[in-house]
Amino acid sequence: MYAARPSGLFQARRLSARLAGLLALLVLVCLASLLWGAGDVGPARAWAAITGQGDAEAQFVVGSLRLPRTLVGLVVGLALGVAGALLQAVTRNPLAEPGLLGVSAGAAFAVAVALVLGATATTMRIGVAQLGAMVGCLCVLGVARVSGAGNDPVRLVLAGAALTGLLLSLTSLLLLFDQRAADEIRFWIVGSLAGRRLEHLLAILPSLLLAGAIVLAVARPLAALSLGERVASGLGHRPGLIRLLVIVAVALLVGAATATAGPLAFVGLVVPFAARALAGPDIRRTLWLCLPLGPLMVITADIVSRLLVAPSELPLGVLTALCGAPVLVAVVRARRMPTL
Amino acid sequence: MKGMRNWVGALRLPLSVAVLALLPLTAWAERSVETAFGEVVVPRSPERVVTLYEGALDVALAAGVTPLGAVTTRGGDGMARYIEAHLGEQRPAIVGVVREINLEAVLALEPDVILAPPQLPEAQYRLLSRMAPTVVPLTEGLDPEAWRAETRLFAQALGREAEIEAALEQVDARAAEVAERIAADEAPSAVLVRWMPQGPMVMSADLFTAGLLRAAGVAVHDAGLTRENSPHSDPLSLENLSRVDADWLFLATLNEEGREALQAAQATPAFARLDVVARDQVVPVDGQLWSSATGPLAALTILDQLDAALTP
Repeated sequence: MYAARPSGLFQARRLSARLAGLLALLVLVCLASLLWGAGDVGPARAWAAITGQGDAEAQFVVGSLRLPRTLVGLVVGLALGVAGALLQAVTRNPLAEPGLLGVSAGAAFAVAVALVLGATATTMRIGVAQLGAMVGCLCVLGVARVSGAGNDPVRLVLAGAALTGLLLSLTSLLLLFDQRAADEIRFWIVGSLAGRRLEHLLAILPSLLLAGAIVLAVARPLAALSLGERVASGLGHRPGLIRLLVIVAVALLVGAATATAGPLAFVGLVVPFAARALAGPDIRRTLWLCLPLGPLMVITADIVSRLLVAPSELPLGVLTALCGAPVLVAVVRARRMPTL
Repeated sequence: MKGMRNWVGALRLPLSVAVLALLPLTAWAERSVETAFGEVVVPRSPERVVTLYEGALDVALAAGVTPLGAVTTRGGDGMARYIEAHLGEQRPAIVGVVREINLEAVLALEPDVILAPPQLPEAQYRLLSRMAPTVVPLTEGLDPEAWRAETRLFAQALGREAEIEAALEQVDARAAEVAERIAADEAPSAVLVRWMPQGPMVMSADLFTAGLLRAAGVAVHDAGLTRENSPHSDPLSLENLSRVDADWLFLATLNEEGREALQAAQATPAFARLDVVARDQVVPVDGQLWSSATGPLAALTILDQLDAALTP
């Protein structure tokens, strides 16, 4: 009668305990993000500003600079983490990362086209990056489907790498023809949270809500899909439709994140990787853990980016790439390629 | 043996006379100038000139020579806007961008002399100098006064020293005139920045423009933010924006929409609360001219713009 396996209730409790721990950690990191920065306002002055006292300078730095970028980091981390988990689940490929699948390159290409057509980096509309992200993603999955090997992780990554290469060269071709665009995109092509404001968040809110609704709707069918297409069909789900919906959600999430913060490499790879290590492969549990883990990674990287080269700041995209590359190598070098 | 020596001795006088007579003839047709790659012999008054450096184009136009070919301005597809004002009917052909010269286009123009940027890579120099004498100024690091030596070297290579000395004097006179008009108890301080969405890049106080503004009585500084010999700082964190607060702030952009960049900056709360913004003493300036040009024409245009902005 003594259960050798943990019961479902026990698992749920363990999940919520971990979730609570991660949330507590996230609150601490957010607080740290308000306290430390590249400027002269140190933790003591910043704390005074948070508690409502403090000088005008500190209140401005905390309220108008550090708070918005922390919130943007929260949302961007959330979007990228969830997008990574979804993409990995739907492609059943632990290496599926928005950056590796042509999504970021698609967004960057779309931005370059818009710049050449006359937009400026400061007035860039987010819809542009979102559309590019979606088109890039669909192209890669289309290629992988044509070859009839949706389950082959390496082939999918190869298709993504090929498309990314193509899009990047098209982007540089455009920039060669237009010197002004080349000068502006330099500061867009590496992601950053600096100078982002709350208006930017409001602009992407609708697409995030839409993506959230899709995620809620497909979480259960997606878990069924991981048991195989036949099982999923037998349970009354439609695999093709689920895949399409997930891709739309991923493109909305990544496009929104990329449009606000620029391309942030590897967040979508590292976060689901950590979530699976903590909660196992079930997508419904992984998604829960991605919610705090994504912002945790992005905001921590952002704090480090501010402190390393003060009084300037390091672009955040550089740091996330530095954190993420070792994880990618570790996954690929694992004794057997994990499949989902 | 003795007869032989006598024979040589007898020839010595007529030979040296002949050499001496020939010298002025060659010297009349050619002259040598001191460049980064040693002495270079150039024609005395070259007619087919190619400039591969915006500063050289500026000098050539100031000396009344329209080059056959030139490179584009930084961040643009053609000549800088201030250069356009000095071009007549005849326009130089575009032979590439500074970093990527179209060697075949240069060759097709059959130049008499090529005026090149300082720090031209040696490999490129070797190729170019086979087409025509190539004049590379010897400038190391950033020096606000280096442009004068460059200008004089290019003038020498064009055989137009008198015109350029006059132009340089005109620049000095104009600077002194502006300095007199700005006249205050203390020189107003100023910072020159390029505005970027994530924060401004502070331009070095050793740039051409900075030296020029100092000559015109404006104390340009870089807030201690640029490293030696680097033309600008990394984008400054918005938290440290107050460091660029000065009496005047010159905001350079490579876009034509300088006003738009100013608006973008003003929409940034950290920028809007600077003293200099409250006093409305932010001057949007053309980055093509203020942050990457050199030469007497550029100097006069910058001084005119400074005069218009600072004196009521």
